[in-house]
Amino acid sequence: MYRILQILFVALCLVISAHVVGSRAAEGLGPLIDQLGSAKLSDMDDHITALAKTGDAKVIPVLEALGEGELYQRKSDGKVFLVKAQGADLLLVDPATGAGAGAAPKAAMQKVKVNNAVRRAVRSALGGLTLFSDDTRARLKAAQSMLQTPNADALEAIETAIAAERDGAVRQVLDEARAVTLLVSDRPEDQKRHAIALLAEGNGRNGLAVLTSALATADASLKPDIETAIARIEQTQAFWNAGQNVWYGLSLGSVLLLAAIGLAITFGVMGIINMAHGEMVMLGAYTTFLVQEVIRSSYPQLFDWSLAIALPLAFLVTGAVGLAIERGVIRFLYGRPLETLLATWGISLILQQSVRSIFGPTNREVGNPSWMSGAFELGGLTITWNRLWIIVFALAVFAALLFLLKRTSMGLKMRAVTQNRRIASSMGIRTPWVDALTFALGSGIAGMAGVALSQIDNVSPNLGQGYIIDSFMVVVFGGVGNLWGTLVGAFSLGILNKFLEPYAGAVLGKILVLVLIILFIQKKPRGLFALKGRAVEA
Amino acid sequence: MTIKTSVTGAFLAAILSTTAFSGAFAADDTIKVGILHSLSGTMAISETTLKDAMLMLIDEQNKKGGLLGKKLEAVVVDPASDWPLFAEKARELVSVDKVSAVFGCWTSVSRKSVLPVFEELNSILFYPVQYEGEESQRNVFYTGAAPNQQAIPAVDYLMENESVERWVLAGTDYVYPRTTNKILEAYLISKGVKPEDIMINYTPFGHSDWQTIVSDIKKFGSAGKKTAVVSTINGDANVPFYKELANQGVKAEDIPVVAFSVGEEELAGLDTTPLVGHLAAWNYFQSVDTPANAEFIKTWKAYTKNDKRVTNDPMEAHYIGFNMWLKAVEKAGTTDTDAVLDAMIGVSVPNLSGGYSTMMPNHHITKPVLIGEIQGDGQFETVWETPGLVVGDEWSDYLPDSKDLISDWRAPMSCGNFNVATGKCGGKGS
Amino acid sequence: MITSFLMRSFDRSILIAVAILVGLAMLVPALNLLTAPDHPLHVPTYLVSLFGKYLTYALLALALDLVWGFCGILSLGHAAFFALGGYAMGMYLMRQIGARGSYGNPLLPDFMVFLNWKELPWFWHGFDMFWFAALMVVLVPGLLAFVFGWFAFRSRVNGVYLSIITQAMTYALLLAFFRNDMGFGGNNGLTDFKDILGFNIQANGTRAALFAASALMLALCLILTSAIVRSKYGKVLVAVRDAESRTRFLGYRVEHIKLFAFTLSAMMAGIAGALYVPQVGIINPGEFEPGNSIEVVIWTAVGGRGTLIGPIVGAILVNGGKSIFTAAFPEFWLFALGGLFVLVTLFLPKGVVGTAGAYFARRRAELRGQAAETPNNLAVEPMAAE
Repeated sequence: MYRILQILFVALCLVISAHVVGSRAAEGLGPLIDQLGSAKLSDMDDHITALAKTGDAKVIPVLEALGEGELYQRKSDGKVFLVKAQGADLLLVDPATGAGAGAAPKAAMQKVKVNNAVRRAVRSALGGLTLFSDDTRARLKAAQSMLQTPNADALEAIETAIAAERDGAVRQVLDEARAVTLLVSDRPEDQKRHAIALLAEGNGRNGLAVLTSALATADASLKPDIETAIARIEQTQAFWNAGQNVWYGLSLGSVLLLAAIGLAITFGVMGIINMAHGEMVMLGAYTTFLVQEVIRSSYPQLFDWSLAIALPLAFLVTGAVGLAIERGVIRFLYGRPLETLLATWGISLILQQSVRSIFGPTNREVGNPSWMSGAFELGGLTITWNRLWIIVFALAVFAALLFLLKRTSMGLKMRAVTQNRRIASSMGIRTPWVDALTFALGSGIAGMAGVALSQIDNVSPNLGQGYIIDSFMVVVFGGVGNLWGTLVGAFSLGILNKFLEPYAGAVLGKILVLVLIILFIQKKPRGLFALKGRAVEA
Repeated sequence: MTIKTSVTGAFLAAILSTTAFSGAFAADDTIKVGILHSLSGTMAISETTLKDAMLMLIDEQNKKGGLLGKKLEAVVVDPASDWPLFAEKARELVSVDKVSAVFGCWTSVSRKSVLPVFEELNSILFYPVQYEGEESQRNVFYTGAAPNQQAIPAVDYLMENESVERWVLAGTDYVYPRTTNKILEAYLISKGVKPEDIMINYTPFGHSDWQTIVSDIKKFGSAGKKTAVVSTINGDANVPFYKELANQGVKAEDIPVVAFSVGEEELAGLDTTPLVGHLAAWNYFQSVDTPANAEFIKTWKAYTKNDKRVTNDPMEAHYIGFNMWLKAVEKAGTTDTDAVLDAMIGVSVPNLSGGYSTMMPNHHITKPVLIGEIQGDGQFETVWETPGLVVGDEWSDYLPDSKDLISDWRAPMSCGNFNVATGKCGGKGS
Repeated sequence: MITSFLMRSFDRSILIAVAILVGLAMLVPALNLLTAPDHPLHVPTYLVSLFGKYLTYALLALALDLVWGFCGILSLGHAAFFALGGYAMGMYLMRQIGARGSYGNPLLPDFMVFLNWKELPWFWHGFDMFWFAALMVVLVPGLLAFVFGWFAFRSRVNGVYLSIITQAMTYALLLAFFRNDMGFGGNNGLTDFKDILGFNIQANGTRAALFAASALMLALCLILTSAIVRSKYGKVLVAVRDAESRTRFLGYRVEHIKLFAFTLSAMMAGIAGALYVPQVGIINPGEFEPGNSIEVVIWTAVGGRGTLIGPIVGAILVNGGKSIFTAAFPEFWLFALGGLFVLVTLFLPKGVVGTAGAYFARRRAELRGQAAETPNNLAVEPMAAE
């Protein structure tokens, strides 16, 4: 009961103070804001603090706009406005009143300059202002900014906020922020000792940073506490590091799997040394680019769906290209596998140059939909959403493919034709048709991989080149003609690479992996999962 | 098997005749300019733009009446990102097409590959890209930045304005990052940075999996001191690097990344909203607000018929280099190599950032250094600028073996590596 | 005795090719050095080095043909042997610069000086002597091929598995040589050569001599390979290509036979690399690029796999085309090149030389009123089983 009253009281105070200050400062705010326009970058900090001190809620959008670079100064009279771009013109909003102030051509306005120092000042000022916001996410953001830039002045505000906070997640961050802030304040030692203990429990890097810098300045009596806390955090982190490496390895493995799985069909199952495989991946990525282009210009609200739309399209586009290649070139080369290498190499050159002529040689922008951006913390791991989705996607594609090959009649035909063409043909299977579809399937899957890879890599005509060698390594390492081999091969190479990288460095790590593949093939000349039977030995 | 003879014979004849033809048409009514930029292969991504820029500049000059009363004619070849092919094509441009000057190359290795050719055939190369320095050659004009025109001012900026104390020097494993990082390391230590506060990391070309490194950077940055990353990561690997930075939440306010190889062109392939505030050091940004730049951008967009095409620093370097060459040829009254080489030194032309760039006796030029922050629209905003122009320093003062060397191509010295300690041309002297 | 050996070892086409090469080795330098630049028969220095380069490529293709065309080992890493030979020669040329580098350091090459190396790494010793470098040109690629082949052939790694691990080998070497810490100049490689055997490397005379050396070396290797493939060992080699298991069951040590061909071929590739470097003036890790090795395969296929003349014609044809197209259609030449590969595989499966040879043999046979017969039992048949 008492607690609720307290919260009510704080809230009431805030409302009143905001109201009072608001009405008092309504006329004072204008000049303060206008000062931002003419201030030097080095003086901005003071102006921002002055603005934040007013406590006026109207300051929040102004500071937000400043951070986002949406604050402009009118060249004619030096007045500062919030702006929104509208075609060639800028739509002005008066920051002091929040009222629209018409539009102005871009040439008549000048952007208020910001740099990192200004953005940092804005962030911490906003943190103080939004700590009591109604929006949970705004409060969380504020708490995080308090955590990242500890500022002794904000300690009391944080404590008030902790008292008022009901949301567990925000509360946790606030507690940590309080501990961090406490360390840089002049509070008594026992409070600091508590804070250190709290930080030692967590595994956050912010705690480590603050503790390390506190170590240099702390009193002698506190030093042992800080040292044990640091040791504790480092120990936890060492544990999580191993987990992190496995995660990175899985993530790299899923990329390898995606890149290689189409090849596992065209090369592994059909025996075509398909050097144009990388270009199929590239075409898939460019399909994604085109889809996003259309969405950006015509249906911006659909942007988060762009990948879902691009996936089937990429499958169809690259599948069709694959079909054309099979019908046009490869069908004349069955039984001459090494010659498919030459023809597909030629095709890959042509495809690359075509894309270069059509889309230009430079990188194209493929954006991350919001659900693929950012990261979340899982214990001591930072897990990025795009990597997580790519792993999920890779496994889904693998499962679908496995189902198609093992459980459908089409898959049965495919396996029959690749195992024994003549007998399959005499059983009434139209082998040319099956060949064409199998190749198209492999190409289509490569195209879908391209959609996923466009999220983490360059979308340029060279995209495919970067994956082709790795893909062949994966398929051969896993064992030609075996999908499970490709899966295991991809993940084990990924994880191996990521465990070697911290010790040997990225370059040497990769060399070591290649040497290990060469040695492994000596031991098992047909890969991890060798096919057995007469068909193989032929 | 006579067929073989006739095939090769016909082939030889074909090559001879094409070369003979192009030689025969090298008449006196035009002045030829060679453009040696890769249009295919890995470097096409960066170099194709420069070819277009050169074609535009030549086009514009012809509209103004050409040079010495003659029209300029561009000769474009494709060295295909293949370094020995660069040497072959350079030789072809100079000895078969008889071009008066060549504008080209991007990577250091391509420049190294063509150097002997230009020396032997005595022709002129304009090299427009920032590079590691440690070179000054009689036949080459370096219009891109030397390390002191890019790297050192950027580090100064971070030290002064962001009070950075801990440094990650991340680069692709090749000569430019290696040398630049060597110079920076020596410089930082001379400024009192402790060796344990410097982390150096190298990755292979086209590295695309940055998870481990970005998380290492985060770890390194959590030691309680303000940390910054100095990136000499090469073109292609940047997009995945920045995507990983954005996704792992490395914000410019916490750990700023300053890059020397990331320009408007590279950002065109990225959504820059999460990257706002990361930095780049160049001598030119598209956002520079001068009338000359506005005009240049307008012409460029009209020439490429694409409103979204961006301009970048190496394009400006070609702009400066080309105008310098025009001026020097006019001054010399001939395109003869030796006369132009003499006339080039001291030539001063307007650059696009509102000042004048001058060709110095060491074949490097004076430039302003700009530090820009990435904006949400893929452009940079200048947040800091050197007060005056900086002279390109070919032999770094921070490397023990090169600090005594200077270059001066004016008579009587005419030496690219004069040792002031021994007073001899040719390094330490033998 | 000698004549009978020659008669046994060569058919007419090889003799003609050798004669042409020897002729070129004398004629081209003469036309380059002795005629005035405006003389109609004058060969410009530009073309001399260009053709010199083609000839080294031809030698590389010939080396590949020995293992691929006659032994069925598709190596996707032959450019690695070429590059290693090139590096050995490059190191010699670097040491010849001596104190004439930018920093005037008498011992260390420039790239070591500015990366603050204090002393010459151990593996750079000895390369100041030409004989040592020349030995390394054949020994290093040969040894690598021997060790690699020893393991691979003993474990019976073959077919695409072998191709892919040779690719892994060249890729690993590519990454290794990119590393500056390796001490081979990193990405920039070795450049700025001055002298070879005391002669200025940029002088016309030196270039002409290098051209002649390339032509003669190619002729020599042509004679050697021709002698090998027409010998009894050569027959076994082809047997291994066409039916490996059967050959093994007949009592031949297949792995030894393969190993000999592979090692010899790597040595030839090394020599080609060593001749290539002084003519183009640079060696860098780009030569290890897996794409380069694939290109060598393509030259061989275009010319005609399993014919000794084919790879030579193919290398010159493709590279000559590249030279012309990159200048004439800089934007579109990749279409032409890519199209060429597709068309050759589709319509000329035996390559230019193989197809032409078959055509002429048929004509001759028709003229004699006999039934057409395959002229060359060594030309590659489609491999039925793989």
